[in-house]
Amino acid sequence: MSEPLGPAAPPVAGDEEWQRLDPRMLLVHPVREVVRFLPALVAIVLAGTASGGVTWQVLGVVVPVALGLLRYLTTRFRIADGRVELSRGLLQRRVTSVAVDRVRTVDLTASLVQRVLGLVRLRIGTGVAANDDGDALELDGLPADRAEALRDDLLRVAPAVDQTASATKDGPAPPVATFDPRWLRFAPLTGTGLVVVAAAVGGATQLLDAVGLPRSLDRADLRGPGVVGAVGLLVAVLVGLLLLTVLGYLVTNGGYRLEQTPAGWRVRRGLLTTRDTTIDDERLAGVALGEPLALRVAGGRHLQAIVTGVDRSETGSSMLVPPSDAAVAPRVARTLLGHAGPVDGPLRDHGPAAARRRWTRAVVPVLVVLVAAVAAVGAGAPWWLLLGPVALLPAALVVAADRVRGLGHALLEGHLVARSGSLARRREALGTGHVIGWTFRDTWFQRRVGLTTLGATTAGGRGAVTVLDVPEPDAVAVADAARPGLVAQFVR
Amino acid sequence: MATTGQALRDPAHRVSPRARAMWVTTAAVEGVVALVVLLGAVLAWDAVPAWTLALLLVAEVVWIAVVPQWRYRTHRWEVTDTAVYTQTGWWARERRIAPMSRIQTVDHAEGPVERLFGLASVTITTASAAGALAVPGLDREVARRLVDDLVRQADAVEGDAT
Repeated sequence: MSEPLGPAAPPVAGDEEWQRLDPRMLLVHPVREVVRFLPALVAIVLAGTASGGVTWQVLGVVVPVALGLLRYLTTRFRIADGRVELSRGLLQRRVTSVAVDRVRTVDLTASLVQRVLGLVRLRIGTGVAANDDGDALELDGLPADRAEALRDDLLRVAPAVDQTASATKDGPAPPVATFDPRWLRFAPLTGTGLVVVAAAVGGATQLLDAVGLPRSLDRADLRGPGVVGAVGLLVAVLVGLLLLTVLGYLVTNGGYRLEQTPAGWRVRRGLLTTRDTTIDDERLAGVALGEPLALRVAGGRHLQAIVTGVDRSETGSSMLVPPSDAAVAPRVARTLLGHAGPVDGPLRDHGPAAARRRWTRAVVPVLVVLVAAVAAVGAGAPWWLLLGPVALLPAALVVAADRVRGLGHALLEGHLVARSGSLARRREALGTGHVIGWTFRDTWFQRRVGLTTLGATTAGGRGAVTVLDVPEPDAVAVADAARPGLVAQFVR
Repeated sequence: MATTGQALRDPAHRVSPRARAMWVTTAAVEGVVALVVLLGAVLAWDAVPAWTLALLLVAEVVWIAVVPQWRYRTHRWEVTDTAVYTQTGWWARERRIAPMSRIQTVDHAEGPVERLFGLASVTITTASAAGALAVPGLDREVARRLVDDLVRQADAVEGDAT
């Protein structure tokens, strides 16, 4: 980004010819193939040792290396006639081609091995709805400076970006947000943090089973030094997990930095594998402010972008602010949207029927379990079966009350805003210009009380922004106001 | 606001009446398969009592009597100059509206069972992962005309549909 190129500047010179990726990838591919073949390799080595032959073991190393070499030799790309073309495969040749003006995001990631070699992987996000992995346009292994130049070119050639470029002529703006080490305290409360904890607990119990520890302790075992040791072990495991989540947060989000560049909003993060995403401003359809209960209680929020052409399978590309202090994510959202309303504005309540549904949906399942437990105890099961459901009941009530408080929608400053949920509450704001259709989904229960779940479909994110359990007339009214004339022709 | 206090109406057209027969047939075939599986279980294990067979049979008869009819009453579609409007489902009803300008592809498909009844389904996709409109159980000719009309109308609109 050192030398200013005019919008008419041609793509990086020499890119019109078919060319290979960086030869240093020859060091990366075999390693990667070996890792991928690892389970097979282990089996081969074991079988080879058993049968006493060396041939198989040699084959087990040669095949992955050869595959890596083949992959390098058969992958070529070029940028010509306003299209990026990638050709892959030996037996089944596959050419992926994308018009440069359809490029929505450019993602640069570098694994640890690639960083050592000074390489990055460049991934081009386009507007294909079903973007399965085979069709993704990925230039895996370009020199870092070359990839950055290419990224700037790809995003600048897109005609929509010119306005953004002229708007920020007065020098590089200060970053919108940067990493703050104090954010690490939110690490255990993130989705991945909770998953890590759950997985570790699951793994630990399985391990205990495998080792053959008794599942139920005798009353006699509950006294003496054995208990102290067990509790100590548990605490140690929990502390270890906590550290693990913090470490995970640091590795993915360390060095986080969000800034505005002529090409769009640029997010950089990661300590080992670095990730550098640029989102074309025109393609920023909206934002989703994540306020899950645990994070909210701890005073944190996070923010994701809803980007046209980037669906939720690529969540890594749409992260704008990692879990951080409560003020940061809303501030960034206001900056990106250019309005405060969609982030802070008041929402319209969904009425008593929707509130009732929150209560019944949270409490009825727990009651069912409770009744079943009572019946089981009545039939002679141990009394402590009741403990779980009885303890769950107040939790269900708290979650239901929180869901009722959170439910709402509004049309604010050209954005459809919807909020719902408790444990995973989200406030989503979608620019009405990015709405490409409407869905009204209602079960018999919902129809009975006049509610429907409105979905504003869009070409990115989760595919739709959902307004949960809204009275049908309100849903029709907000849909008509957001895109006048479309829904009006189908009302009674 | 023009639409304050109003609800959506149903789309104008029903699917083919033969769709009912198709749904009855598939439900009956699935029911017979389930019955055979359960019969095998009853014969193989003493723990499975024979009256479960009667229970399953009653449930299936009710299902076949109610659900295809309910489906037929729900499944509807309509195309205007500017939009497509579909309604599918039975217990959970789904109404979808897509502007003509955002249509990306129009698919015409005839599954083996559909062909047996001279039916076809039309799927209209937009750029949204959650936005495809599908109308199953259309008369084959109606489906073909629908596809032609949609392709012609969607072609007339400028833009890249995102």
